[in-house]
Amino acid sequence: MQIMKSEPKYRHFIENLRAAGGEIVEIAAHTGSIAALFPDAIDFTQETVRDQFSASTSLEDLDKLECVIFEGSFGVAENGAVWLEDKDLPHRILPFITQHLVLRLDSANIVSTMEEAYDRIRLSETGFGVFISGPSKTADIEQSLVYGAHGAVRETVVCYNPSNLSSKG
Amino acid sequence: MTAHAKCAKKFLADEPRADWHDETLWLVRTKRDRAAAAVDEWEALREQASQIKEEALANLNGLLKQFEAEATKNGAKVLWATDAEEFNRIILDIIRQHKAMNVVKSKSMLTEECGMNAFLLKAGIEVVDTDLGERIIQFRHEMPSHIVLPAIHLKKEEIGATFHEKLGTAAGASDPVYLTHAARLHLRRKFLAAEVAMTGVNFAVAETGSVVVCTNEGNADMGVQAAPVQIHCMGIEKIIPRQRDLGVFTRLLARNATGQAVTTYTSHYMRPKPQGAMYIVIVDNGRFKHLTQRSYASSLKCIRCGGCLNTCPVFRRSGGHSYGYVIPGPIGSILAPERSRAGGIDLPFASSLCGSCSNVCPVKIDIHEQLYRWRQDLTLQRRTSFVKRVAMCVAGFVLSSNARYNFAGALGRFAVKYLPRFLLYLPLNVWGKARELPVPPRESFKQWYKRSHNQ
Repeated sequence: MQIMKSEPKYRHFIENLRAAGGEIVEIAAHTGSIAALFPDAIDFTQETVRDQFSASTSLEDLDKLECVIFEGSFGVAENGAVWLEDKDLPHRILPFITQHLVLRLDSANIVSTMEEAYDRIRLSETGFGVFISGPSKTADIEQSLVYGAHGAVRETVVCYNPSNLSSKG
Repeated sequence: MTAHAKCAKKFLADEPRADWHDETLWLVRTKRDRAAAAVDEWEALREQASQIKEEALANLNGLLKQFEAEATKNGAKVLWATDAEEFNRIILDIIRQHKAMNVVKSKSMLTEECGMNAFLLKAGIEVVDTDLGERIIQFRHEMPSHIVLPAIHLKKEEIGATFHEKLGTAAGASDPVYLTHAARLHLRRKFLAAEVAMTGVNFAVAETGSVVVCTNEGNADMGVQAAPVQIHCMGIEKIIPRQRDLGVFTRLLARNATGQAVTTYTSHYMRPKPQGAMYIVIVDNGRFKHLTQRSYASSLKCIRCGGCLNTCPVFRRSGGHSYGYVIPGPIGSILAPERSRAGGIDLPFASSLCGSCSNVCPVKIDIHEQLYRWRQDLTLQRRTSFVKRVAMCVAGFVLSSNARYNFAGALGRFAVKYLPRFLLYLPLNVWGKARELPVPPRESFKQWYKRSHNQ
């Protein structure tokens, strides 16, 4: 997009994510846990947590998850989408079945368009991958927008290191 | 009166609802315009998308074979169906083979086209449609009235009444948030109990053997990721050559459909889940034959965004059910004469030929030109109504002679001026059914021109 050449991709990402109903939290450090922000969350970016959940965990147990945290591979500026794939997910249903989906994202890992996004993905090397932009939504009743159709009711993207961007633009 | 016109009359009898339908879809169209205008290279993207689809249709056999080989390598089972019967049979066999009783399905116009729900119900399998709009119309035993907004013909009070009856929501409740939440709880139970999950397919990538499904609700993934068995159903025309092509189509699809920059979920299914099974069923059902119809083959480029429905002045004012074909609106009207078993031959005439459909089409199908060609072909094949054919013969006779044309003009002016109303608006005058004849001018243009230029 033409606009993006003059403005940082990061700002566009945030604008478009908000338009899709997603929430943004900006934090400075990329190290450490963001547990303080989401005290009840299950943080799947921690290996010890990942080990407790596997593909054989019962759906009934997963259905009780209120809030889960994943690390997004990268974001797409033009539509606020974040890419997740098998290697990030101990169980593929997790980002959908939870009530509140939290995605950590390195602010430097944002591409402009979907064309650039697909240049970064290796579909042939994964089993399942998904772009997620905002919370689950529907407008099937009289075109009234409602969040939380079947997937997560809330989506929050935690962008870390936004201050590093000034040099990268 | 033709079928579409008859049904449209019924739709228009409820004027406030018809107005609401018209205005709501126009609002979707304006959202689409804003989304498209925000992308500088929009027109270039449309051109690219059109060329990729043309390339895919030109190499369809090779790409389908490549897709099958790659998908099989990935661990998916690829099955082929020639027609609706075979398709339905294959799905039933898979369900039985896995001894499944609970089947969920996200949106698939292909399964609507093939009457799958009804077929499986006869075999004792009740498929639960999980898209909210689809679930609503399934409860009401109706057909979708729009390919993207299946329940756009309904008001929230009607949906509230249906949910009260089927889901036990409070009587008289019609708040969309409340109703959506009730459906969420109801369908969660269905997802968690499902042994088989079916989906449609938006794009199938030959290069990688993967299928891509786009939803806002997340119902495709709740189904696929919860059930041990996943089945993806696609028409042969869903194939695109390369992974990179997805960049073009995912930029166009949601923007052109609802004005969103992208759907909430764009899911890429490559391999079955651990201990799971993954099937991809590829269906012809008349598509290969359709491809041989050179003047109409490009309608197979359609990516089912619904953009032409939202912009069409006839669709907005007649409602999807008036079309009587599984895909309503302009795109359905050029598919139906070739593919509908019920005929659908009046549909190319249910258009003003304004060309707006072609202008918004993200893959540049010349929809209104095909509508015009269908009119000519259907008339030549004597498939149009007798009255219409006679009228065309009379018009041809009158218009092919100067004297007859002049005489008919004078006669017309005289008739409209002096004949009593009941004679002018006889049932034979189809045009006058919903319209007033114009006030006739004193003289014809020719007479006026001669008089004013010979002085």
